[in-house]
Amino acid sequence: MAGSNRRLVRRVAAAAASVLCVAALALGGLAPAASAASESTLIVQGASFKSNFNPWTSYVEGDKYINTNIYPSLTYLDENQKPAPYLADSWSTSSDGLTWTFKIHTGLKWSDGQPLTAKDAAWTYNLLMTNKTAATSNGALVTQFDKVTAPDDATLVIQTKVPVADMLFTNAAGGSQPGIPIVPQHIWESKVNDLAADSNLTIPVVGYGPWTLTDYKANQYATLTANKDFFLGGPKYDKLIYQQYNTPDAAVAALRSGQLNVAGMTPAQRTALQGDPNITTYSVLGSLFLSIEVNRGAKTKSGKAIGTGNPLLADPAIRDAINFGIDRDTLVKKVLDGGGVASAAFLPPQYIDNWQPADKDKVTFDPAKANQLLDDAGYKKAADGYRVDAKTGKQLAFRLGTHSDSAQDAQVADYFVPWMKDIGIKITLEPMSFSLLNENLAKGDWDMLFDRWGTGPNPTYLLSTQTCATLPDEDGKNGNTDSFFCNPEFDKLYALQSTQVDAGARMQTIQQMVNILYTSGNNLILFYANGLSGVTTNQTKNYMIGTVNSDGNYPPQNAFLNWRSAEPVATADDSSTNVWLIVGIIVVVVVVVGGAGTVLIRRKRSSTDVKE
Amino acid sequence: MTDSVPDAVDARVAASAPPLGRPPARFAGLRRRAVQFFTMPTGFFGAAILVIVIGTALFAPLIVSPADLDVTKVSGPSLNPPLAGYPLGTDQAGRSVLDLVIWGTRSSLVVGLIATALTVVVGTTIGLVAGHYGGWISRLLMQVTDWFIALPGLPLAISLAAVLGQGNASIIIAIAVTSWTGTARLVRAQTLAVSARPFVERAKALGAGDGQVMRRQILPSVVPIVLVTSTLKIADSILSAATLTFLGLGNPMDVSWGSILNSALGQGALTAGAWWYLIPPGVAILIVVLGFTLCGRALETIINPRTETAR
Repeated sequence: MAGSNRRLVRRVAAAAASVLCVAALALGGLAPAASAASESTLIVQGASFKSNFNPWTSYVEGDKYINTNIYPSLTYLDENQKPAPYLADSWSTSSDGLTWTFKIHTGLKWSDGQPLTAKDAAWTYNLLMTNKTAATSNGALVTQFDKVTAPDDATLVIQTKVPVADMLFTNAAGGSQPGIPIVPQHIWESKVNDLAADSNLTIPVVGYGPWTLTDYKANQYATLTANKDFFLGGPKYDKLIYQQYNTPDAAVAALRSGQLNVAGMTPAQRTALQGDPNITTYSVLGSLFLSIEVNRGAKTKSGKAIGTGNPLLADPAIRDAINFGIDRDTLVKKVLDGGGVASAAFLPPQYIDNWQPADKDKVTFDPAKANQLLDDAGYKKAADGYRVDAKTGKQLAFRLGTHSDSAQDAQVADYFVPWMKDIGIKITLEPMSFSLLNENLAKGDWDMLFDRWGTGPNPTYLLSTQTCATLPDEDGKNGNTDSFFCNPEFDKLYALQSTQVDAGARMQTIQQMVNILYTSGNNLILFYANGLSGVTTNQTKNYMIGTVNSDGNYPPQNAFLNWRSAEPVATADDSSTNVWLIVGIIVVVVVVVGGAGTVLIRRKRSSTDVKE
Repeated sequence: MTDSVPDAVDARVAASAPPLGRPPARFAGLRRRAVQFFTMPTGFFGAAILVIVIGTALFAPLIVSPADLDVTKVSGPSLNPPLAGYPLGTDQAGRSVLDLVIWGTRSSLVVGLIATALTVVVGTTIGLVAGHYGGWISRLLMQVTDWFIALPGLPLAISLAAVLGQGNASIIIAIAVTSWTGTARLVRAQTLAVSARPFVERAKALGAGDGQVMRRQILPSVVPIVLVTSTLKIADSILSAATLTFLGLGNPMDVSWGSILNSALGQGALTAGAWWYLIPPGVAILIVVLGFTLCGRALETIINPRTETAR
């Protein structure tokens, strides 16, 4: 009897424990709902990030998007892609264009309470100009700077060696190439000797901006807390979670279930989401190209040939033939579902005033012409349909490196390979990881590669990747070249445009540069795809900025503005019904389990009584 | 003598091994077993599935022309549910999913078969050598085997395929490297059992070398059990090959079931609700795996009389 009693006690205890567990689980599920009522959270799909929030060395897009929101800059890009006052209330230039004087906004404080002054800005620029490690990420933007001083807390003076045309752009927050972030001197002064190793992960990170970084998990998410007192207007949300997703379907599934507020998507997904009442999809004018780079003979700065590129590609006839063998309109129609611009220009159409090449240079889809070019150059088709170089007896066979994680690369390759076969060129695909592809690129170990690159309204950086100065050193290192292009005339124009403060004159120079690249055939631009994204508009409003153009596209978006502009949609009723539902479930569970337990105990007791 | 080796496999062999010195009996046994195989429902249906699938693979070029798979030559609507002319709908580029699945049979089967052959050769060799020589050789080889068993298969295969570069060859190697261990252990146990039997001792006494004993005496007794496991292993290999291709490690220009699923996922077919793009390759994998598994089970039942009486 005593034994069975103990067993009963144990059983009742187990039943009670299970009730508690269920209640705890329910309460656990309740917690976020309860906090959601008091604290709003915007969850956006993040570009890949490495959690390197060190503003000196971070170069991954995702890290830069965070940094531009937690550190201030002199200006920011407004919704029309024009620089607007941020830390600098106003600015003036001397008549020779060599001295810029910025009036810095006063009365601001870093997130730890220390004053934010022009001295911090001057210290940041001076470190960028003198310290090699500090220059890792943004050093290229200050090479023309001569001297930066802060005569008082509200004035910053930048003196340059030559006139700098893009001064206001290179210092702007929020673009696809965010400008120079200004950091607190009192925090970084002591870390100068150890910049390379510092990932700046002391939470919360001391900075100033619309947001403060308060939590992160490497390669998974970063949490930003709103700075409601931000002087340009604080965010409407209390919190922002920047979350990484590995597959497009996972992100869109999260978007559908309301666990994610903003996500990017493929054309097929956009079509599928069109009937969803909770989600609004948007198309954003593309400023990112997809191209096929051609290795015309990789060389170092001193002109030494490097790498394993196929020497046949140095022949302009072959490069032109490849160019004429590509049907860009079909790619836009089939791969992008019509959402993009078929263009062979190196810069996005909207940033070069829709420049068009001269009729004689125009590249069209013309396989007959491509075949003619190759026939005339003496590459005859062999029995298997592929052409052979008469001099060396070698087949016209080239490798094409693709990004193994890119569905778009694979889709485009599906078209490109048969098109090349039609003109007698054999293509072998070599899918590679992003890092391996770029390693091979730098060493010149490639024939053709898929390349994806974009720019904001200021194209200086993207154009710089085509200059001779970005070729690698003798040992194949320190290069940042797009595809080993080196043309003295192009370099001259590059230097000229960077000093042309007059926007109209600068545009003409840039168009000439685009023309040189267009006719060189070293980077065959295929298209500019529109960015597609979806927002859960039943939870979030005003995320997108700017006005839709006649083609139904938004202007390029910008995290600095999007994240501040987004507003939660009031859903008070929703959360309260949830709470009552959960309370109801707990009550039912307690009653049922408790009742069953009591019946069980009674029955056991009676049966043991009978037995003894 | 055999009683001294307490091994289930041993008992199987002892009962199923044909009497020595009477070769015709072996062929009679074969015929008896064939009849047994086809009268079992599992054997019959398994074999029927395999005949259909292998037939599809062989005759695929007659059903599907290369132009049907060339995205620049097809004219179907994009990502469309089944309609006239496209019984299983179309993919993003407008190709018939049925054509893709039929063509995918070839690559999927070939990769699975070659990978299994490699697995069996490596596993049998290591198991045979370890079992025959014993001592430190056996210990060393079994340590290596244990080491490979402890390694998680899929991550190892993924890293191998990543290191070797993409393509069918690296998938085949990745599968072989990660799945030979089972065969090696099985063959070693079987070898130990057979080595202890009088005819092996007799051969040794007559002066047969290690090589001859392994090849002529032990191997024939090990073959039936290897045949059974390899039939089951083909199913595993096809599944692994599809997994690795689905994860994007296959030859990008090759059409296989895994690669169809890979492009479906990459292009967002799941969100688009394009079931006709996802289900057919999945069902094809299921059917082939089922076919090989049924055949393997039937063979196992025949070769192991214990399960036969239990049936």
